[in-house]
Amino acid sequence: MFFFILINNNSNKMFFLFIMFFSTLISISSNSWFGCWIGLEINLLSFIPLISNSKNLLSVETSLKYFLTQSLASINFLFMILIKFSLLKNFNMNNIISIMMNSSLLMKMGSAPFHFWFPNIVEGLSWMNNFMLMTWQKISPMILLSYYFNKNFLIFMIIMNLIIGSLGGLNQTSLRKLLAFSSINNLGWMIFSIMISENLWLFYFLIYSMMIFMMISLFFLMNMYFMNQLFINNMNFFIKLNLLINFLSLGGLPPFMGFMPKWIIIKFLLINKFYFLTFIFMMTSLIIIYYYIRIIYSSFMFNYFKMKWMNLLMKNNMLLINLSSFISISSMILSTFIFM
Amino acid sequence: MCFNSFFFLFFFMLINFFFFVYFIMNGLSVFFEWEIISFNSMSIVMSILLDWMSLLFMMFVSLISSVVIFYSKSYMNSELNLNRLIILVLMFVFSMVLLIISPNLISILLGWDGLGLISYCLVIYYQNLKSYNAGMLTALSNRIGDVMILMVICWIMNYGSWNYIFYFDFMKNDYVMFIISFMIIIAAMTKSAQIPFSSWLPAAMAAPTPVSALVHSSTLVTAGVYLLIRFNYLLIDMFFFKVLLFLSILTMFMSGISANYEFDLKKIIALSTLSQLGLMMSILSLGFPDIAFFHLLTHAMFKALLFMCAGVIIHMMNDIQDIRYMGGLSLYIPLTSLCLNISNLSLCGIPFLSGFYSKDLILEMVSFNSFNLMVFILFYLSTGLTVFYTFRLIMYVMISDFNLMMIYNLYDEDYIMLNSMFVLLFMSLLSGSFLSWFIFFYPYMIYLPFNLKLMVIYVSILGSILGFMVSNMGIYSLNKLLLSYNLSSFLCLMWFMPNLSTYGLSYIYLNFSQILFKNIDMGWSEIYSGKGIFNILKNYSVFYNIYQMNNFKIYLFSFILWFMILFIFFFI
Repeated sequence: MFFFILINNNSNKMFFLFIMFFSTLISISSNSWFGCWIGLEINLLSFIPLISNSKNLLSVETSLKYFLTQSLASINFLFMILIKFSLLKNFNMNNIISIMMNSSLLMKMGSAPFHFWFPNIVEGLSWMNNFMLMTWQKISPMILLSYYFNKNFLIFMIIMNLIIGSLGGLNQTSLRKLLAFSSINNLGWMIFSIMISENLWLFYFLIYSMMIFMMISLFFLMNMYFMNQLFINNMNFFIKLNLLINFLSLGGLPPFMGFMPKWIIIKFLLINKFYFLTFIFMMTSLIIIYYYIRIIYSSFMFNYFKMKWMNLLMKNNMLLINLSSFISISSMILSTFIFM
Repeated sequence: MCFNSFFFLFFFMLINFFFFVYFIMNGLSVFFEWEIISFNSMSIVMSILLDWMSLLFMMFVSLISSVVIFYSKSYMNSELNLNRLIILVLMFVFSMVLLIISPNLISILLGWDGLGLISYCLVIYYQNLKSYNAGMLTALSNRIGDVMILMVICWIMNYGSWNYIFYFDFMKNDYVMFIISFMIIIAAMTKSAQIPFSSWLPAAMAAPTPVSALVHSSTLVTAGVYLLIRFNYLLIDMFFFKVLLFLSILTMFMSGISANYEFDLKKIIALSTLSQLGLMMSILSLGFPDIAFFHLLTHAMFKALLFMCAGVIIHMMNDIQDIRYMGGLSLYIPLTSLCLNISNLSLCGIPFLSGFYSKDLILEMVSFNSFNLMVFILFYLSTGLTVFYTFRLIMYVMISDFNLMMIYNLYDEDYIMLNSMFVLLFMSLLSGSFLSWFIFFYPYMIYLPFNLKLMVIYVSILGSILGFMVSNMGIYSLNKLLLSYNLSSFLCLMWFMPNLSTYGLSYIYLNFSQILFKNIDMGWSEIYSGKGIFNILKNYSVFYNIYQMNNFKIYLFSFILWFMILFIFFFI
């Protein structure tokens, strides 16, 4: 369903969507760095038609911004590949070349010190495009990162991600920017998980995409872009409940699904004696939870005495919403059977 | 409900009476033990000890409670929840019976806690703020005793069982027994309202009058005395008994003085109960438990009667309890006045009423066993004070003019109340002599000089003269008490004990907690935990958003700059 929403029943967009998927596959399954680079370029060029909408001035600007940042990162990536080919004879991970290659990949995925484009662009996209940006577009840079990375540099970048992701969202009122900063924070977790193992990353990434999909589809269906819209609308109780559950799940509160990958990563951190890093991980996710709770504050209250001026006439879509929050609640419990 | 309960309790009384006669005639005592659970050689048992003492006490309790229930049929006539009152009184009597018959600490606790809980329910029966406060004071004061009993249960576990009567002989000098006796004495002092804990007893006057008649005569307040009577083999010649002696004499003295300052009819009677309790406790701590028990029983009779008379008077006076409004009642309600006078004179120890037998015996035993001057003086002084406030009460209530209103409705034909009072009138006339024949197998031999023998008469005459004079004081002379305001407020407020046990306990902590709340909860911890962290994070976030507000070009340039720096590092 969601793909049809994304491509808006437009055959051209359908075409670009497939190209985008396949470009990612090209990039992550390629044998050489050039293949990777080609995949990244195709990905960029197929994503821009998806997000651009000639009727909307903002989206044109956004697609231009996206193009500029991605192409800048791609240029540097290509440049570093060439330098690496020509200068480095042996396979050495911890050198400046790896830092530079990682920097360009981090720029591509919108990771912390190079993330400044990310909230800007997110603000100009529709919800479903945001979903693509926050999930699918991060696959290929992250997989490529796992092939060749500088450990110390990346740990530093993880800390930057965590702190900037948590602090940046604190003052936001726009839901899209909030989710952008939360995705920056989650990027820290994901980069760490990909440093440990690809399976762990896959696990984290899948669950994160699932949660973010629930959130985004809810906001998309309710047509909400700012925080006060949640407060002034009269919502169906079940929608409120689903919003609450999914946000707590995204924040990583224990009984819900979102806690599980975080739990596993924290366990890995503690096994590998990254105590200080664990501290930062946990404290920043606390801040994240704080601003999630602020969003669903009105849903938390038994009696919320503020006047509500609008009625949100939305039916409770059983399949999408209830099922997804059922997954959020139960999958943590069900997963114990999987990992038994 | 009333009549059923009355008949039930009355027959229970008769059964107890016959068993008492049988047991005391044959010198029997029966001990049942039902083992409830046993583990690790500790057995929790429900034990029942029936001897003449417990049977006699049960007889008195059931007699008074039956009469009180009968009385409350009329006294609480238009009460909607009368059944609740009756049920509570029945449960109260039941827990008192549990306390009386069991020599086992765990099963004593059952009755002991039941008394505390149900006395709370009875005091708050009228459901207003005053009775709520009084009930809370009562319950919490008694709770100290409950805690002490609980701790005694813990300590006595060292001996392997909770039947304390088995350990009196050979464990007397044990250190643990020392602690146990201390705790038992504290518990008994809370129940019997001895001096640090005595503020609850006048406060408990918020209960309905029949309940006061029951609670303050034979059940709740005498539970502590009864416990100490049971424990007295252990406690005799111990240090704590000397402390208890002083405290109980002071209680007697204090309440005697306070009763003289008091104008509330029920409170005067309550304070006289307190003074009689002090008398019982003191004679007990001098080492005469049987005399203490004797006085307990006679006192129960005339004090219940006194309260019931007071209830009748309160009924007739449109619920006014202030004795200044009364006066000349003997002209209007002769039968009630008869009961009131007999019980009052019995309280004073006028010869051949029931109080005489016990009280005279107590005072002569005090004179006979040479104790120190302070004990002696306080004993006789408080006896004089008893007569003092009794005569003051009689003068205020019985003599002179009726002071309430032009229109009044004094009647003496409520025969439900009067009949129940006559039973107790009979008992308070006769129970002294009949008990002294029953329970003393041989009379106490007392040999005193003539003046010392007549000392009781002297102080009584002095007290009655003083009471007469005080009751004739006009408002002009009464206001002279304001000249010694500090002294008179000290004396009439029971030596500030109600304040000490309410404000005195809570003031410091409330003040301290307010300071803590202000400084910690709303101050430092707010700055350094919740609000402070939020402010820090918010400021960081604002600081970060300054970066986020830049031109898009600058972001791209910063990335290129980063690459430049890396290149420089790479080629160095």
